[in-house]
Amino acid sequence: MTAEIGQAAIFLSVLSCLWAIAFLSVGLRTRNPHAIQSGRNAVIATFILISISTGALIYGFLTDDFSMRYVEEVSSAAQPLLYKITALWGAMSGSLLFWLWLLTVGGAIVVWQNYQRNKQMPDTLADYSLIPIAIVQLFFTILVTGLIEGIYNPLARFPNGQVAVDGQGMNTLLQTPLMAIHPPTLYIGWISLTIPFAFAVGALASGRIGSGWILRSRRWMLFSWIILTIGITLGGNWAYQELGWGGYWAWDPVENASFMPWLLGTAYLHSVMIQEKRNMLKLWNILLITLAFQFTLLGTFITRSGIITSVHAFGGSGIGGYFLSFILASTAGVIGLIIYRWNRLKSANRLESLLSRESAFLLNNWLLVGLTLIILWGTLWPIISEAINGEKSSVPEAFFNKVVIIPGLLLLFLTGAGPIISWKKITANNFRRMFLFPLIIGLIGGALTWGFLALIGYTFPLYSVLCSFAAVFVFAAIFAEFYRGAKLRAKRQETSFVNGLNLLIQRNKRRYGGYIIHIGIVILYIGIMGSKGYFLLESKSMTLGESMEVGKYKLTMIDSFEKEYANYLRSGVIFDVAKNGKRIGTMEPALHAYYGAKPDEEPTKEPAIHHVGMNDLYVALANVPRNIKTGGVVNVQAYYNPLIGIVWIGVAVMVLGGIVAIAEKSDRSRDAR
Amino acid sequence: MKKQNRFKIVAASIMLLGGMVFLVFAMTRSTSMRHFTPALLVADASSADKQQVQIDGLIAEGSSKWDAANFVLTFAIRDRESDASVNVIYKDQLKPDNFTDGGSVFVEGEYDASQNLVVATKLMTKCASKYDGAESAVPTDETSYNSSK
Repeated sequence: MTAEIGQAAIFLSVLSCLWAIAFLSVGLRTRNPHAIQSGRNAVIATFILISISTGALIYGFLTDDFSMRYVEEVSSAAQPLLYKITALWGAMSGSLLFWLWLLTVGGAIVVWQNYQRNKQMPDTLADYSLIPIAIVQLFFTILVTGLIEGIYNPLARFPNGQVAVDGQGMNTLLQTPLMAIHPPTLYIGWISLTIPFAFAVGALASGRIGSGWILRSRRWMLFSWIILTIGITLGGNWAYQELGWGGYWAWDPVENASFMPWLLGTAYLHSVMIQEKRNMLKLWNILLITLAFQFTLLGTFITRSGIITSVHAFGGSGIGGYFLSFILASTAGVIGLIIYRWNRLKSANRLESLLSRESAFLLNNWLLVGLTLIILWGTLWPIISEAINGEKSSVPEAFFNKVVIIPGLLLLFLTGAGPIISWKKITANNFRRMFLFPLIIGLIGGALTWGFLALIGYTFPLYSVLCSFAAVFVFAAIFAEFYRGAKLRAKRQETSFVNGLNLLIQRNKRRYGGYIIHIGIVILYIGIMGSKGYFLLESKSMTLGESMEVGKYKLTMIDSFEKEYANYLRSGVIFDVAKNGKRIGTMEPALHAYYGAKPDEEPTKEPAIHHVGMNDLYVALANVPRNIKTGGVVNVQAYYNPLIGIVWIGVAVMVLGGIVAIAEKSDRSRDAR
Repeated sequence: MKKQNRFKIVAASIMLLGGMVFLVFAMTRSTSMRHFTPALLVADASSADKQQVQIDGLIAEGSSKWDAANFVLTFAIRDRESDASVNVIYKDQLKPDNFTDGGSVFVEGEYDASQNLVVATKLMTKCASKYDGAESAVPTDETSYNSSK
């Protein structure tokens, strides 16, 4: 019965979405407060209805209702409770419903925030933005009704009252805590991007194209950025810990799909500052947030349509066409509104000099958007090449690695140069005061890196030297900013330096939160440089008692083990690890054979990771033979990943900076029109 | 704003854009690999000789041999719709997860037409994610990697 209620709720929410769109549009045009209120209520109704369907689906999982098709597909009776719940987004129908549910939560929050605000200051911007939100909700609702070919209703039952004895269960590789939180994190990040986009459309529709919409959606955007940062990193971390190929990023189409909206969102976070400070780039900001939103859908299109081969192996499902149509239609809608509001979108100011903070911001935007387009090009190259000469081709990981280096290093340099260059035009004084010291320190840093790398046998590591130069420059520039500001505060308030620093950040959380993010970026770059540029890999087939070497480390296989857990059998070997002849610990790489695994699912690799400071030793096994105690051969791959720990620290610092920045509540006081 | 400034800004933008476009095209040219099914590759063998290629197909039943002592995996990748197959050798790497007869496989490497052999540098089997095929009440093997149809 619950499944039927859930299905009915989905159909009813088609109506509530239409209701919201119609009543808000008419109400806002005719300034009818009752109609507007009715539209807001409909947005809340959609939220309640979709919550009911989502709840019904979860109920199906919890009660092992294998008459439901989706439950049968991704769950099984023996599946642990946590993974019965995460099975909600274990395959397509359910993840679309989950996506929709998150979107309705977003809509409800916008209504609620607007209600809080209207008590003080009535305004219609948020009401206008509810219309695009309802339109996107309508799109997803229609997708999960089951009326669309290629996607069944997640609450549908098997025809003719069939009931499966047990479910197929979720893929065992996904049954890890990281995979339980990685997809929903990305979804939340993508979906919260819908809200700033909706505010941009609302601004266009209402004609209030000042900075109001930007300020109102600022925290949504930062929230989305923080969550996406976390989500992308969790994916990389999962790959590193579970897949056994020693890396965390491979430019897979699905990774790219999550990375491109992040890049565009980052560009947008910078360009809005120009609009606020200098009243420029109004049109650009609207285009940028539109693009960022469309890329969240494009990501889904790329990964679900089966047009691109990916390790994620998505099958063709016909859903791609609907996404593409929606992307095109909604983009056309935004362009129509832009043309309609063309006169109000002109900038009051223009760029005055090539060397100014404005142009640093602009260059940052060019590079971030450029990187996005490059990654899109590489990702879609199979389609593009087929269109050009009828032959499908694709580019390997190396294409991306090579092509992102130069724009990436320029961006890194800007991370330090942007915050210290003066507005309008750089002056000799500005250069002496702000740039000279960081540049000198940076040059020293670059030279030291060169010396160090030359010592260990790399003769001319150009990119590493440039990266170190830029990284040290940025560190010096940002720390000098903190130091100057804190000292000034301390002096003015006649207090200690630490208090001064605290006051400095408290008074301008957005700015200094941003600088903390920049420091995180630098740390991340150093980690990427080390782990991508200087990793070592050794493979060996070995029997018990034998050893292998990777870098300064010697791994001796001393024993094997086998242990039973609730839902899998863990078998592996024990390595003694020695550095320069001195024993430093043991490692236990293993394989997990899940009892519920399908015949074609082999045991999953469970690499062992040994941290040595910021560097990792990483060992993965291909097999653990039955006769290992009597001379069976184990195939081992051992990696030495220098500085990889710094990657995670860098991201943590970025997230911390984001949290500082989002704490600033500047959006109420300065609601410029 | 001075005219000269504007000129500088436009010139700098064009240089930047030009540089990026050049970089992307050069890299695409040098790294792009043609994508084949085994049938298409066999049919067009001479044109792909000594080139980097990608092949998408199935692991031919009974063809795979894993030399554990030397880390050499050899097998034949067969077409989904015909009997055509191409030999693959994959050296110095672990045998990937999910490597089973009849399973989907994706190979990257250099093709040698005289031996009908690909020296693989990258090998992927059907993966992790269960998003394959929405309508998969049927087993999912056939739904992945159907990019070449």
